[in-house]
Amino acid sequence: MEIWFVISNAIVLACIYGTLAIGVSITWSSLGLLNLAYGFIFAFAGFGAWVVSQQVSAWGPVLLATGILTGALGGVVVCALAFIPIHDKPNFTIRGLIGTLAINLLGTQGLLWWFGPRAKTLPGIFGDWKISMSGMVLSADKIGNVLTSILMLVVVLRWMQGSRRGLEIRAMMMNPHAAAIVGIGVRRTSFYVMAITGGLAGLAAVLLSQTYYISPFGGLTPMIKGVSIALCGGLGSVRGAVIAAMVLGLNESLTTVTIGGQYVLITQFVFIIAILLVRPRGIAGILDKAREA
Amino acid sequence: MNYMPQQPPEIAGRPAVSREVLNVRGLSAGYGPMRVIHDLDLVVNAGERVGIVGLNGHGKSTLFYGIAGLTGWQRGSIRLNGVEVGRTRSQGPGRYTHEIVRAGLALIPQGDEIFHGLTVEEHLDSGAFTPRAWRERATRKQRILKIFPPLKKLMNVPVGRLSGGERRMVSIGRGLMADASLFLVDEPSLGLAPKIGRSVIEALMGVELGDSAMVIAEQNVALLEGRVDRILGMHAGQLKGEASAAALAIHDYGRG
Repeated sequence: MEIWFVISNAIVLACIYGTLAIGVSITWSSLGLLNLAYGFIFAFAGFGAWVVSQQVSAWGPVLLATGILTGALGGVVVCALAFIPIHDKPNFTIRGLIGTLAINLLGTQGLLWWFGPRAKTLPGIFGDWKISMSGMVLSADKIGNVLTSILMLVVVLRWMQGSRRGLEIRAMMMNPHAAAIVGIGVRRTSFYVMAITGGLAGLAAVLLSQTYYISPFGGLTPMIKGVSIALCGGLGSVRGAVIAAMVLGLNESLTTVTIGGQYVLITQFVFIIAILLVRPRGIAGILDKAREA
Repeated sequence: MNYMPQQPPEIAGRPAVSREVLNVRGLSAGYGPMRVIHDLDLVVNAGERVGIVGLNGHGKSTLFYGIAGLTGWQRGSIRLNGVEVGRTRSQGPGRYTHEIVRAGLALIPQGDEIFHGLTVEEHLDSGAFTPRAWRERATRKQRILKIFPPLKKLMNVPVGRLSGGERRMVSIGRGLMADASLFLVDEPSLGLAPKIGRSVIEALMGVELGDSAMVIAEQNVALLEGRVDRILGMHAGQLKGEASAAALAIHDYGRG
């Protein structure tokens, strides 16, 4: 077992899953919506990038941008269908869960019907060069994956820290009722939130397509991992999600090299259950310094 | 019922012709099957400070929430600066609140409706979501710091770590950041030590209203006596009588 191989794999997985988990986390805490259509948005963005690679250009940055944009579009569509009509109705949490799950099922079946069951591959985005440093070999897509997802996260988080819309979203994440009182419109903000989290899912889809195939149901496992990492990090906490993604990425790559890839989900969930038993609010429960309102 | 616009008596140092900021006619509001506000009328003129006193559970907060569109349902007319913002509707509390805020309402809610993870500065910014207030937010923040000097060295501290009195200052400061013509202040002294409660009320009295108006709901009538232009009593979802602070003091109204 090579220690550097495990660590570099862990970092790559952490970056991609972290991107997904932060999307889940932001949607849950600002809109109160556990977005189960995330898998569909993921696959939709993958196919969007694939169509562009076939029809327009297979240049890496174009594919990344297409993935992000189609992901954002998918997010907006889900928002218009599953959030806007029901967000102020009774029992919204359960209805939202069912609504997004329905969109997920319908959407993935739609993709299957339109594109057929054969998995698609995207051309390599980052080329096939390698760097070797002190016995550690880093391939281009590993470095590219890490850099792009970190760049995207930094841009999104900076935007949320520094801009007026970002302040609106963070305010809604902390106290939706008070957000209404200061004059933040839930409906408009929800479109921003869903577009951004959809864009994050789209980016993750294009990055993961460097390792896996694009298929209509390919979003299911990443979505489950994203949701479970978000839970483990503490829903609503971006820092918690990042730490959980690193820990679970390490867990995944360690499990793969020690007992085999088919046990990844088992060890992952045992790990998450263990964390939630000790800290019911997830890792954020350890980090938070501010009292709840 | 008198539907003619009411002109307030002329007070020295204030323009004789006054404008109606808020005109509520026949408002009923509540949550689900419960009706809390019953056919309520209220007129507030520009430059006025109005106190509403009443016991717990008689609808002071619900009146404010009704004006802000935050109740479960409401019926009746609410005119804010002459614009109708009342709706007859039965669901979606908060759905139109941002439009009412844009029309000139600043609600300073009861208790601490704060964003516990935002810093004091971000919190004040979040009160300035109307376009003009957002552009002027730097100067407005300075104005708030003049009213509440203790906040000056807390600007970068998350609000969740502040004490109750400091949180109330932040909450009121957030309301005062807005471009509002009507400030609704709900129980500003609630849950605070009497001395801090009094200083919060003092700060509210020190706010220059200009063309705007302020309505303060309070249980402790002694805190408002002689400081507001008029005091109304809230009882069982209706405003009872309209008396001067002095008259209220004689009848000891609103103390139980």
